[in-house]
Amino acid sequence: MNPVVSVLFVGGVLGVGAYVVAVLDRAFGPVSRGPRDWFVWPIRRAAFLAVQRRTETERPDAEAWILAPALLAALAAVGLTAVPVTPSLAVADVSAGVVLFGAAMIIVMVAVFLQGWSPNSLFPLIGAYRFAAMALSFGIPFSLVVLTTAIPAESLSVGAIVASQEGLWNVVRQPLGLPVYLVTGAAVAFWGPFRIPEGTDLAGGAVLEASGSVRAVWRIARAGVLVTLSVMGAAIFLGGHLGPVLPGWAWTALKTLVLLAVFVWSGHAFARMRVERFVWFGWVVLLPVALVDVFASGILAL
Amino acid sequence: MSVLGVTAIVVFGVASVVTGWLVFRTDSMVRAAYWLMASFVGVGAMLVTLDSQFLGLILILMMAGEMTIMAIFMVMYMMNPAGLNPMVMVHQHRTAIAAGVGSFLLLATVALVADFPADPAPAGADPTAELGFELLGRSMLVFESAGVALLAVMIGAVAVAGKWGRFGDADAGSVEPPLDPEEAAS
Repeated sequence: MNPVVSVLFVGGVLGVGAYVVAVLDRAFGPVSRGPRDWFVWPIRRAAFLAVQRRTETERPDAEAWILAPALLAALAAVGLTAVPVTPSLAVADVSAGVVLFGAAMIIVMVAVFLQGWSPNSLFPLIGAYRFAAMALSFGIPFSLVVLTTAIPAESLSVGAIVASQEGLWNVVRQPLGLPVYLVTGAAVAFWGPFRIPEGTDLAGGAVLEASGSVRAVWRIARAGVLVTLSVMGAAIFLGGHLGPVLPGWAWTALKTLVLLAVFVWSGHAFARMRVERFVWFGWVVLLPVALVDVFASGILAL
Repeated sequence: MSVLGVTAIVVFGVASVVTGWLVFRTDSMVRAAYWLMASFVGVGAMLVTLDSQFLGLILILMMAGEMTIMAIFMVMYMMNPAGLNPMVMVHQHRTAIAAGVGSFLLLATVALVADFPADPAPAGADPTAELGFELLGRSMLVFESAGVALLAVMIGAVAVAGKWGRFGDADAGSVEPPLDPEEAAS
């Protein structure tokens, strides 16, 4: 794809996706809390943050603090580039596409750690440590289920993985894959029940001291990570652009929307988990399930 | 290799060296850890440019976790809990300078003296598949021994760090010792 078109495409998908996440989040939220202003609310919130005054803390690491939201947005963009939207249209369907995506999603840990650590403030720092503990617990199961989808395709390229699901989608062929992906994916975006580093018990945690435009960029970037996770999940588990009647891009958009809705809905359906419970859950439940997924797919492929 | 490829390698190489140098110029442990990560990302990017996508990306993937763990451990062993207060990151200056100059001279000599192979890989070769055949072919014994050992360590670590222990569940919380010594002894 042409470089200029690629940048516009990735930016456009993340921007529209972040707006959809905000609309869905408002729509799934308790109705009693406010009016049904689903479509206006994200814009009003963004306008508020754009004019809000920046918080200042004592001796922060100013560079890292500014760079953390930019890093998170960049990681969402990098992960998105590897996914083919239609059979022929991908920003860069590189030969190790799922590894590129995995690397981008693991580095989210660095962005969140920097965001919590750099303001030199107590609660954000605790949030940063919490996310480090979380990330080490979900990192291996997340990478395993993503990489397992490469086994039937015999290729690490996302295009080849989508093509390998022509007859049977990976959600059926690897029944353990999508559930683990959804749980660890929500944890990657510290969304919903895994809003552990930004929990209300920490008064906002990692993002407590971020305000104004920086907070807005952080929120948009986090929604962007969720969008990237949904696009990739649709591609590697739900057959991506494959489907009858409708054109390829429409199927990609539809499947992405379904996963996005599941992710956002989980934030209103489940209570936030405690970090020590999550660490236990990651190592004792998710990791063995992911290993079974790998072994079963390996045996099937033989 | 194309002009663009050579330029990319030079840019990533210089960035790696500069960020590696910044590791020792910064006054904060977390910054030092992440400068080191930036340096490794540069090396990974060079590998990707050299058509070794899988190895380069895996290197970057691994370094993100490793450097965060390193930063946390470094901060943990320090007296200032956030690691934000400025501190001197280098010590034993004379030994460090001697070791640095010595290893530079050694590596530079190797670079000048060694007879590097100059056979370009055949066009259309798949480096990831070649790597797989290498790992499960000639080098199978080495890598499988290491792999099984690491798997055993992982399972052992999970068992050790798991919720259940000799003194009950790990997340059950500790009980304050009783004030009465008779009761404590029983």
